[in-house]
Amino acid sequence: MSAAPLPDSAPLTPLSADPDAMAELERTWRSSHTGLWGWLTTTDNKRIAKRYIITAFMMFLLGGIDAAMMRLQLSRPENHILGPDLYNQFFSTHGTTMMFLFAVPMMTAMGLYFVPLMVGSREVAFPRLNAFGYYTYLIGCVFLYVEFLMNTGIDVGWFAYVPLAGPQFSAGKRADVWAQTVTFTEIAGIIAAIQIIVTAFKQRAPGMSLDRIPLFVWSMVVVSVMIIFAMPWVAVGSQFLAMDRAIDTHLFNPAEGGDAILWQHLFWFFGHPEVYIIFIPGLGMISSIVTTFARRQIFGYAAMVLSLVATGVLAFGLWVHHMFATPLPQLGESFFTAASVTIAIPSGVQIFCWIATMWTGRVRLATPMLFVLGFFIVFIIGGLTGVMVASVPFDLQVHDTYFVVAHFHYVLLGGAVFPLFGAFYYWFPKVTGRMLSETLGKWQFWLFLIGVNVTFFPMHILGLQGMTRRIYTYLAATGWGTLNLVASIGAIVIASSVIVFLVNVVASLRSGAIAGNNPWDSDTLEWATTSPPGPCSFPDIPVVTSRDGLWERRDDVPVMTGLRTDRREVLVTTLHEAEPESRHMLPSDSIWPLLLALAVGGAFIGAVYTPIGLVIGTIVALPIALGWAWPKAPTGPEMVDDVR
Amino acid sequence: MKPVRVVADVSQLPDVTFGPRSTTWWGTIGFMVTEGLTLVICAFAYLYLRKNFYHYPPEGTPLPSLGVPLVQVLVMLISIVPMVYAGRYARRLDVDGTRAALLIALVIKLGILVLRWYEFPALNTRWNSDAYGSAAWIVMGFHTTLLILDVAEDAGFALILWTGHARAQTMSDVVDDVIYWYFTVAAWLPLFVLLFLYPRWT
Repeated sequence: MSAAPLPDSAPLTPLSADPDAMAELERTWRSSHTGLWGWLTTTDNKRIAKRYIITAFMMFLLGGIDAAMMRLQLSRPENHILGPDLYNQFFSTHGTTMMFLFAVPMMTAMGLYFVPLMVGSREVAFPRLNAFGYYTYLIGCVFLYVEFLMNTGIDVGWFAYVPLAGPQFSAGKRADVWAQTVTFTEIAGIIAAIQIIVTAFKQRAPGMSLDRIPLFVWSMVVVSVMIIFAMPWVAVGSQFLAMDRAIDTHLFNPAEGGDAILWQHLFWFFGHPEVYIIFIPGLGMISSIVTTFARRQIFGYAAMVLSLVATGVLAFGLWVHHMFATPLPQLGESFFTAASVTIAIPSGVQIFCWIATMWTGRVRLATPMLFVLGFFIVFIIGGLTGVMVASVPFDLQVHDTYFVVAHFHYVLLGGAVFPLFGAFYYWFPKVTGRMLSETLGKWQFWLFLIGVNVTFFPMHILGLQGMTRRIYTYLAATGWGTLNLVASIGAIVIASSVIVFLVNVVASLRSGAIAGNNPWDSDTLEWATTSPPGPCSFPDIPVVTSRDGLWERRDDVPVMTGLRTDRREVLVTTLHEAEPESRHMLPSDSIWPLLLALAVGGAFIGAVYTPIGLVIGTIVALPIALGWAWPKAPTGPEMVDDVR
Repeated sequence: MKPVRVVADVSQLPDVTFGPRSTTWWGTIGFMVTEGLTLVICAFAYLYLRKNFYHYPPEGTPLPSLGVPLVQVLVMLISIVPMVYAGRYARRLDVDGTRAALLIALVIKLGILVLRWYEFPALNTRWNSDAYGSAAWIVMGFHTTLLILDVAEDAGFALILWTGHARAQTMSDVVDDVIYWYFTVAAWLPLFVLLFLYPRWT
């Protein structure tokens, strides 16, 4: 290692044993301002990630209310609580909220909180950019729902197919609102992805070589790479759509040589990986939970990592299976059927590894583990119907029916929301310092498991009976009334499960049991620091000597010291072996990220109403960006002359 | 809790690094991949729409002109030279040399923006004429946003260096800015072939 090894005769004092150094470290890392200004200027990744998680959960609740309104409308035939126009807005807003404003931001937020902690680093790589990403996302959330309340709610589905979303068939601003909402969340997603990759590659604790990285971190790295390669497709595509609508380009206009299928390619080349972007972090969460609650290292670590990577790669070879009902060459369709079936292999490998881990471990059935078992049941049902719809003839029969609605809700709720709730129970003590109630947790789990199945299982049958998606009502003579009523009752059960969770959170925040540093006796580094972690996370930099992490049998914990206490420094290590390489100074708190987000937000929202909005926003953003980049005089690192 | 034991001291490690050792370099690469992909997507749309036309450009639309675009490619290649020097001086922490090289580059880059203004009409079509025109304008337009951002970034660095605010980390950031310019120029070369030569072959 390039860090100076210590002679045995002269051991250094760890920072955590030096009260003066600890006090200075605390001053350096804590926000320099208090109150509202401190709140607006903070760049602490843990504070930003908590806001991300809370905002994304509020989006989950809003998206859930959208869904509840749809279930209310469909609970009996010829219902007229929502008219067709309002129903269109509700289902479009529901899908857009859940995919763009809940699922992806929630998963990246969990990464932004836990990846630095799990790799033993004090911060993410670019803290200011992190704050900017969050504010951009927040503006997108507010924008969508303000427009919804102003009767400009999007009504073109979460996929905004042309020609329906084009200038000819969608007058007004609703499709533009969709296009720009997407842009906000894509910017935030790409920024989060780059943060996570650089933090996991360059800021790992010394000794955490690539084969010792926790599986949750691996899953976030795979997802981040996927975000970088998938999200630009919809970001660029939605700008194409906005331009077709605002400045008369003809990319999707068949009358002038444009092509509606081009939109579907652009959308689904993003849209299919998107599904995996949502559920691969769930796989990482499950690996963390299974390891802890089976009390042994995961079976087949290398196979697990390779499966994650394989899933990430194969996910890009599936997009056409969303387009089987378009006039594509049959040979091409066959390829995508094969790829769609193939992706079941790496998923299967992981499931068998988890089963082997549990089989050979000593399983404790705490609430996080219950949600993992729920994941197995729900996700596997979704996976099986996935293999069914991968076949072209079957897909053509059920295309655009409730069978598909049932399939993807099983996959997404099973693959993402079950692991997420498990992760909430698992990591809540780390974030807040208090335990969630196990009793309420078990109630929530069973209500959720029952609710999900009662809501979505009947939809398989409704779909096979011919009930199509996106219809605001149906006639009694179709015979779909009973199953729809059952599904709506299931939605009430899901809602009560979420209410139990909220009650649990509020009650536990007030009077939950004090957690301690490592309440579950887990192995990964986030449990090596206090609960909740202090502003600096790790006063001493932990050193990793094996994959066992905190389970390693030893009398003391090896650490490195030497990062400065008078400025925010993180240790940068090499990509492969994580050997110490340099100390990197991070910037201080700043208002510029918020200002830049407001300028960029103004540009994109302005673009909905006039193309000039984009130009004005850019002109405003440039001096703000300069202010952001301007080096600060008193607290900055060495001037050039000092270094020389 | 188990006691902690210090096994190494990192205080002697450098606190300013260049290239792949620096986290900023990795961030820059991340954004280059993202932005490079946006150009690939635009090029994909341009080629995808080709199948809807018998000829590219469509009947009645003249071939794009070659004069200004060829000059542009030449000027872009020349602009690399001062940027190479900016990177070298920055690595040596030579503020004066870096500033001079960046200013020369900035002048050339402003020329590139002026040329770009005349390069759009050289496409000999308009964004709202037909899908061919839309795709051609979009390819060039997305690349232009990268040009503008890069020129703004250069101007910012020049200002920071000019006013004596340069720190060692700024010099590392200049090196990343240089790499970003290589990428901006390298990305244009295939796009130039696509927009101005490819229609001549088909």
